[in-house]
Order: sequence, then structure tokens, then C-alpha cells
Amino acid sequence: VLFYRVCGLGVASEIALPGLIEDRASAPAEVTIRRGPVATQLEGAKAKGPTWEAADGQFLLHIPGVARFLLSDGREIVFAPATEESLADIPIFLVGTVFGILLHQRGQIVLHASAVRVQGFAVLFCGPSGAGKSTIAAALAQRGYPVVTDDVCAISIRPGVRPLVHPDGRQLKLWAHAIERLDLGETQGARVRPQLQKFYVEPRQAYSEPLPLGAVYVLREARPPHTPGIEKPNIVDAALTLRRNAYRPALIARLDQKEDYFHAAASVASAAGIFYLTRALDFAAMPEIIDSLEAHWRDLGLREKAA
Amino acid sequence: VTRTIWLASYPKSGNTWFRMLVANLSATDKPVDINDLPDRGGISSARGAFDFFTLIDSGLLTFDEIDALRPRVYEALARGEADDEYDMPPETPPVRFAKTHDAYARLATGEALMGGAAAAAGAILIVRDPRDVAPSLANHNRSSLDEAIAFMNSADAAVCGGANRQHPQLRQRLLNWSEHAVSWLDQTDIPVHLIRYEELQEDTAHVFRRALAFAGHEATDEQIERAVSFARFDELKRQEEASGFREVPRPTTPVKFFRRGIAGAWRDELTSKQVQAIEAAHANVMRRLGYPLAVETRKPGEAA
Repeated sequence: VLFYRVCGLGVASEIALPGLIEDRASAPAEVTIRRGPVATQLEGAKAKGPTWEAADGQFLLHIPGVARFLLSDGREIVFAPATEESLADIPIFLVGTVFGILLHQRGQIVLHASAVRVQGFAVLFCGPSGAGKSTIAAALAQRGYPVVTDDVCAISIRPGVRPLVHPDGRQLKLWAHAIERLDLGETQGARVRPQLQKFYVEPRQAYSEPLPLGAVYVLREARPPHTPGIEKPNIVDAALTLRRNAYRPALIARLDQKEDYFHAAASVASAAGIFYLTRALDFAAMPEIIDSLEAHWRDLGLREKAA
Repeated sequence: VTRTIWLASYPKSGNTWFRMLVANLSATDKPVDINDLPDRGGISSARGAFDFFTLIDSGLLTFDEIDALRPRVYEALARGEADDEYDMPPETPPVRFAKTHDAYARLATGEALMGGAAAAAGAILIVRDPRDVAPSLANHNRSSLDEAIAFMNSADAAVCGGANRQHPQLRQRLLNWSEHAVSWLDQTDIPVHLIRYEELQEDTAHVFRRALAFAGHEATDEQIERAVSFARFDELKRQEEASGFREVPRPTTPVKFFRRGIAGAWRDELTSKQVQAIEAAHANVMRRLGYPLAVETRKPGEAA
């Protein structure tokens, strides 16, 4: 059994999870991952989608051609590979989609976000798949802001103080095109799936203690009517946009988390700030985008050391 | 229940114009903002709806794995399930027009990629003279005319089909221009209503009215007349000039979405060699759709 820390949780896994750092100190585990038989349906399913079913304390996810996953009580993940060949495809789904759903199951606030460290703060970039989260995190890492997490970002809300972000030292994942355009060829690691031109990139960041949340940026492409810049939505829009940027927004209503996300949004907006970052989806614009972020961090007081 | 009607077309054939017409049915005193069209459910290739319903990152799936799940997504949308986390309950218009550029393809299992009758009550197929599609496509893709024609003649043609990056939309297989039209016309899963772009231009109100009747969308003559006038090509172009259009392929380039919108403009945009390249590849379907071939309509003595 291998031990990891994923989004702040100790994990014991029967299979290796590339992109994460093994961490013996994570024992005893709060979550176990093992191979085993998984039924094709759930007894007493209360909600269903094309690939999933949810019942009390149980969640079944089917990724056709890859595996079935059964998540129980936020503590155990059992996977049944579609074939022996599909074993190699499973880790990337385990640490992303499956673990993200597990965090929803645990009632955790979990955002679809990548994050970097700015002084002692975690700065988040949210958006749907393809919004450019990993790319902007990679570009910021090149400028000396270490990556905190990629794609999945767990947050703990604490009354009256800044929310906490749970890093896990997971590696960034980038498509071949982005690696080329960001000139990161030397850092290119293994493919995330044998069939995809998407790769892990070095360096890995060592796991660190939870970080106070510095700011949340929701990524938008500069398309009419949106023009480039950083903008602060009103609190109603901020609350809605945070919910839409939950890791799996479809689960919020199904798992009765609407209230939680509403409170989280209020807390994040008042303690750290929720902003739209609107920019051209163009690698050439990246230096300018980073300059505007650094200026914004000075305004927010994030360039000082975390309290 | 809201009826779903596919609004199917090869790219640059009037799909967006038709959606503008529909959007302007509910306009009263001024044209709808072209950047403010309702886009719930969006285009069939929207990545967001796929990820939302399946809980799986489409960016981690192969194109074929995505295609295998797409019918399930379209069924969910047809049932009226929300494809985003909204505050308001979804409105229930009588008809949901869902844009698609995909060919009507079958999966390895024999199932229809578009989900067949479980995903839509019918389809409106808009076709346009391929000789006019080519210059518009070249402009849209910033490619040469010859490249646009080669694309239209290729059975492997796809949009967002590159494997080295994540495209904003899911891969859409178009097949070649002829196969695209025929795939929709000859499928028997759902009824299909054919519109020719040129006829829509010639008598917009009449062609639009018939399409709405097919879709089961009620509209008064007054609404239709107003929509036709609010969605005139020069109005769409004016709005794009004034404030841009969010659906341009690349906002960082000066390429405009609404270009000329003229039927028959190919006569001064294509060389005779280019016309021949299109006609040779698509003669049968052009005849079937009522586009006379230049090679057959040339008067005696006229130069080739």
C-alpha cells in the first residue's frame, strides 16, 4: 500500500498515483483506494446521471472503457477496471474526477481550480475544463510562484478568518501544445493517459501545510461583451459564479450542498475576494496578464507575508 | 415538455442567422443583442454540457470515448435537464433549437451519435451552395480558398479534431460537404426539414414561417415580420462592427463572422478551377439540392 496526501487528506492506495508525492507521514489514512468488484447499479439510488448514480453515502461512477468506481461515505474508493489494459488509465481519473466527487461526498467545498502560492497565500484560478487554469499556473510557476494544486482545489471555511486551501503537491498537467508554447519541453514528464498528448510537467512541489486563501480568480476569455481586465462581481454574482465553479457543479443540488456553497462564497468574498480575470486566450498575452495580476496582488496586500 | 429540434448545417451555411431569427421572435422594440442570445444547451459540441452531465473531464477522454457518451448527454438535454448550476429554474420555451455542425453519424454500436429520436423531435437542415460556403469558410478559418475546398472535399474533415491540445469544443466530424448533407437527409430516426440558404435569403419570412411550423413553434405574422427585419444581414453586420460578436472563432484576430452573406458571390470569388474542384466532388448532391453546376449551365461558346 502507498500513502499520499490528496487535498489535505491522508490516502492509502493499492495502486500508484502518478502526479502525487508519496508521503509516509500521511498514514493512517482517512481515505483508502483499492481494487475490487463494483456493482453496475446502486441499491436505492436517489439521483442519476448518464454515467453515475448516487445513494445515501454511496456514489457509483462509470467511465466506459476505463473502470467503475464505488465511493463510500467519503472514506473508501473501490475500482473495477474495464480490462487489465485499462489499469494504466485509472490513476488520472482517480486523483481528479473520482477524488473530487469524494470531496463533494464529504461535504467539502471543492473548486474546479488550479492554484499557486503568492507569498504565503494560495491564489486560485477557476474555470471549466479548457479555461486555461493549468496554463496560467504554469506560467506563474515560471515567474517563481510555486504551484499549489492543479484542477482540484479543496477549501475549508473558517468563520471570521481567511479560508484555508489544502495543497497536495500534485503536478501540473499540460497539453503538448501548451508545453511547446510555454517552452516547458525540458520539464515534460509522463503522459497522463497512454492515448493522450497531455503530460505531467515538473517540478513537483513538496506538500506544504494548508495555506490561507489569498484571492479567487474566475477565468473568462476576452470575447464580446467581455473586455480584458480584472473585475469584482457583486456578491450575488460572486456567489453564483463560485457555485458554478465547484469541481462538479451538477452535484451541488444533488448532494444538498447549495447552502454550503452560499456560505463559502460569502466567506471567500469577504475574506479574500472573488474576481473575474478576463483575458485573451493567447500565449503571447501571458506576460501582460501576469503583470496585471502582480499589480492586483500589490493592491490586495498579498505581496506581504501571510499573517 | 419542450421539443428539441436540431438546427443542423455545415459551417458557414446560415445556422447563426437562423438562430438570430428565432431569438428576435420575442424582441419588441429593437433587435436582440447578438451577444445576448440564450445559449442554454448551446451547440451540440459544447464541452460544458458534456462535463456537467457525465461528471467526467472530456479533456481526459479520447474522441471516441466522448462520442460514445454524447447520445446520453443529448437525451438528458432533451428531457429538459439543466446543463449548468443556475439560480433560476430553466424556462420552458415550446421549442429548443440546438445548433449542430456534426454529420449525422453512427457509432460503432450502430447507435446515432446525435441520440436519435430520444434526443430530438426533428431536425432543420440548412444547406448552402458549396461554392459560396468555400470563401466564407476560408475567411472563417483564415485559410486559403484551396485549403477550404480541400477541407470540404475531405471525408475525414473535422472541427476541433487536433490531438495535441484541448479545443474549446468537442470534436465534430463533418465528413465531406456532400456526405454531411446526405447524412442528415437520409437518416430515418427523426423527421428532417430542408432549408436552402438562398431561399431563406430570397423570401425570409415565408421560409422561416414554414420552418417554425415544422418545429411546432407558434409565431404570429407580426412576430415573424419583425424578426426578419431585426435579423437582417446588414443589422447583424452592423452590430458586429459596433461591438464585436462573441462567436467569432478567434477574438484576437480581425476576422469577422458576418462577411458578405450574398448568394452567388462565388462567381467573383472563385477561379474556374476552384469551381470545378467543388463541382467535381459534389455534383450529385448539388443537383439533388438544386444547385445547377456551372459546367452544365454554361451557354454554348462561353469560355470555361
